[in-house]
Amino acid sequence: MTAKWIELVTGPLEEKRRWRRFKQRKEQLPAGYRRAMDGLERYFMYAAPIAKGDVYVQMLEDLVDLVERAAVDGTPVRSIVGEDPVEFAEAFIANYADGQWIDKERRRLVETIDRSAEEV
Amino acid sequence: MGKQMTEMLKGTLEGIILGILAVSPAYGYDITARLREQGFTEIAEGTVYALLVRIEKRGLVDVEKVPSEKGPPRKVYTLNTQGAEYLDEFWGTWGFLASRIEQLQQLVKHPHEGDPS
Repeated sequence: MTAKWIELVTGPLEEKRRWRRFKQRKEQLPAGYRRAMDGLERYFMYAAPIAKGDVYVQMLEDLVDLVERAAVDGTPVRSIVGEDPVEFAEAFIANYADGQWIDKERRRLVETIDRSAEEV
Repeated sequence: MGKQMTEMLKGTLEGIILGILAVSPAYGYDITARLREQGFTEIAEGTVYALLVRIEKRGLVDVEKVPSEKGPPRKVYTLNTQGAEYLDEFWGTWGFLASRIEQLQQLVKHPHEGDPS
């Protein structure tokens, strides 16, 4: 009961736990990889405004999975993100479209056109 | 890798990755390495990984986490039945597209062939 009430005020606790875990994993990365993560995270914030917290956390967890593994394998940052980091970031973001604000508007457009097509 | 190559790969890389997985299960790193061996020298591991995430979300592959000596476990991707069906469709589409483009190229190169003279 109390937990439910707290979640109502602060957001889901499970999500917060995952978020903290993500932060820890990022802190443990070698400096260069951490900087790359920071850069991508910042870009995501602007380019993938994700409304659903769980989708956002999932996106960051998937990203840190990749970067952690690459750091251990010694894959250079350039080989992870390629010559065009924006290209990579956009490909990555596309996977989480269901959590974006724009997704609601996309559905709305489809419905509006469906209705208008019926009328004409 | 040229801009045009990147653009063209966008629509086909997913199918290529499924094709590689049809040969044998693989880690993301392996797939990137194989693509590089085949001449896609500048392909980014992250781009491949992003597509693997997508393919996984759509249920086309099974994923197994295999412990590794060093670092986090590796994710091994295996093509499943649904993925195999999707790949069949991809080959069909690719065959159609390739033959039409080939036809067009022949027409451009030899514009008067087949003309009544």
